[in-house]
Formats: sequence, structure tokens, C-alpha cells
Amino acid sequence: MNYIFIALRDAFKLIITLDPEVSNVVGTSLKLSLTSTFFAALLGIPLGILISKIEFKGKYLLNTILNTLLSLPTVVLGLFVYSVISRRGIFGEWGLLFTNKGIIIGQVLLILPIVVALVRNAIHDVDEKMYKTAISLGATGSQKFRLLISEARYGIIGALITSYGRVIGEVGVSMMLGGNIKGFTRTITTAIAMETNKGRFSFALALGIILLSISFIINFILYYFQSGESK
Amino acid sequence: MKNIIMEANNLIKCYDQEYVLNLENIKVYEGAFNFLIGSNGSGKTTLLNILSMVDTDFKGEVIYKGEKIGKEKIDILKLRRKFSVIWQNPYLFKGTVRYNIGLPLRLRKVKKEIIDKKIDKISSELEITNLLNKKHNELSGGERQKASIARALITNPEILFIDEPNNSLDYESAKYFNNLFSKLIQDGITILMITHDLYQIEHYADYITLLDQGKVIKTGLYEEMDI
Repeated sequence: MNYIFIALRDAFKLIITLDPEVSNVVGTSLKLSLTSTFFAALLGIPLGILISKIEFKGKYLLNTILNTLLSLPTVVLGLFVYSVISRRGIFGEWGLLFTNKGIIIGQVLLILPIVVALVRNAIHDVDEKMYKTAISLGATGSQKFRLLISEARYGIIGALITSYGRVIGEVGVSMMLGGNIKGFTRTITTAIAMETNKGRFSFALALGIILLSISFIINFILYYFQSGESK
Repeated sequence: MKNIIMEANNLIKCYDQEYVLNLENIKVYEGAFNFLIGSNGSGKTTLLNILSMVDTDFKGEVIYKGEKIGKEKIDILKLRRKFSVIWQNPYLFKGTVRYNIGLPLRLRKVKKEIIDKKIDKISSELEITNLLNKKHNELSGGERQKASIARALITNPEILFIDEPNNSLDYESAKYFNNLFSKLIQDGITILMITHDLYQIEHYADYITLLDQGKVIKTGLYEEMDI
């Protein structure tokens, strides 16, 4: 039992002294997650709005697929992207495997369904009376669109925060597509897995505490926006 | 007899190949209290949506101040911005009452200082300055309606379209709104109101149009009508 306390003490020491290796891993994780969330937002927000507002054949099927993809195991997605970007894959020549770009592609694909589905729900939840009211107030087409986004803003921000939370805590995609290369593609989660196996328990614990803290901050912000919805 | 400010001819509106509106002619008189009455499903709200240009998906012609309204987006927007609508269950956008009241002016790109002045003026006139910093979901039914009326009046509309405003209001609030609308008529605003309230009709109506199954059954001066 004593080893846990010792590991905890050492872990906090690593955090407080801003250990370069810990900082590097955390920095890589934050940077990759932010980039992935940015690109997923860029694609997912317009898609979510379109799916919510436009009626088309196969919409029901698309929504079902979208909902299924919400719980996609990260290793399955990692496997799929691996098969596409590995040397024998169709994009093998691009040299994306074991690079940050490879991880970002995988992470974007992982959280894209989350962004799309939650944005779709946020837009769908806007009261139908909003449109009629906006028209009667003299809104142009683009003003009406801006009002719609503004009314759904808490839901949209919530979608992005949820996606960021999902992506920073995932391990499958980062491990399979990033290769866990020290100082380059090593993220918090892949480092925890490896360092634990190596017996560097305090190092893994330090990263675990940081990841948990990030998760707490993300949920704190998410709750703030969700409660903003009801205010 | 007052001047006709708005007229519509041969209006047709269908839902699922069924006529909800099929009327030859309707007139709205300037500076008068025009009432639209009729049973549920008679087409009153559909007609109000069309005349207020909220719904432009219809057949027929609408004439405003002697000019036929084109179907071009810009023509419709220009006309729509001369009107205001007060809905039965008003929708307030997420934000404060101040934000909501100023919204139509912001959509018209009016300067912030002017908007602030107008908000202060209208809220003082309607005695709702105490509501200005309240959020949209902190209001009672009557307060929501008051905020939506301030929002409708801040643009100085030429015609005010009102859809049964007293439906969910208590006696005091209903009395307040009736007096307010009566004052607006004295100020020269034209009102077209849907109502089921016989008291309102008896005390305030100048002109009445009775609808049934999408058609005008009776129309004219209140005093000359037998209803």
C-alpha cells in the first residue's frame, strides 16, 4: 500500500516541478486534441445544421448510422484508418502513419459524429416559433440564420466541449496511428499505458492526475454552458 | 369611412391540396381597429400571416397603399419591416428583455445609441423598465406579452397585426392591453386583430371581417353589421 503514497508524492513532484517529459506529453495531447476538435467543428457544425434543417431521402438511415458511430470503439476506428494510411493502404504514399497528422485524421473521424449529432440536436431543439418571429421582426435570410445559431449556441458549444473531452481521453487512435513515439506522437493516454507497463508508476500517475484535472475542467465548462441553457 | 391601407384579392392558400384560405377580397382600414373573427380553423391566423408578409407562399394579390406588392424578396422585406406582429404565445430570444426589445432595430442596422434611447422610451411608456434586465425565461405570461409588445412597437409600425393577445392573460393584463391598443389607434396606428373576445369587439371594433372555412362571410363597419 505504501508504494501508492510514494508514487502519489512523486507524481505531484513531477507536476509541480513541470517535468519536461510530462510537459511535452501534455502539450502534445492538448495540441492534438484542440486541432482535431477545430477540424471536426469546421466540418461537423455545417453538417449538423444541414441534417437538421434539410429533408431528404435516407435521413432516417443517416441519423441511425450517426447515432451508432457515437459509440464507435476507438481501436476499431484506429484499425480502419490504419488500413487506409499504412504503407499498403490507398493513402500509404502520403506517409501519414505514426505522425501527428495521422492521429488528427483518426481523431477527427472519431469525434465528427459527436459534433454532427449534438449540433443537429441543438438546432432541432430551437423552437419552431423562432423562425416565424425572426421573419416578422424583419430578419433577412442571413440574419435569420445567425439568430438560429445564436439560439442554439449553448448546444453547439456543448458539442465542441464534449468532443474535446472525448478526444483527449482516447487511447486507441493515438496508439495505433501515432505509434507512441517519444517527444513526437506520445500523448497522455498512450504514455500512461506504456509507462505503467514499464513500471514508471509515478510518471503514469502524474499524467493520470493531469488528465483527470483536464476532464474536470472540461466538465466544469460544459456544465456552465448547459446551465446557461436553462438560465 | 376611413381610407383603405391594405387590400388583398383572390387569396388562395392550400395545405396538402386542401384550401385553408380562398377569399375574394379583404380590406384593412387605415388608423382603425380592424377585427378578424371566426371559429377555430376558419383561416384567421393564415390570413394574418399572409397580410403581415410572414407567409409569402400564397396565390393572389396584395395591395399596400395603392401599390401591388411584388414577390421579389426585397419588396417583401421592405414591406414586412413596416409591420409588426404580436403573437398569441410570443417567442422571446435567449437573452434579456432589453436584448429582445432592441432586436428588430438591430436587424435594421440602427445605431446602438439610438436603439438604447428607443428602448428606454418604449419601456417607460409601457411601464416595463423593471423588466429590462430580466432574462427571457424569468418572465410570467403577461410580462412576456408586454416585452413582445414593446418589441413590436419599437419600430413604429404602420400596421400592427395581433393574434389573440389576451388568450392566456389575467383580467388586469387584458385590460392593460386593451387600453394600450386603443391609445395606439388614437396615435394613428392601424391594427388588425384576431379575437374571440366579445368585450373587445363591442368596445373597440371599427371594422369587422367574419371568416368561415377560409372565406369572408361578412365584412364592414361594426355599427352596420348584424353579428
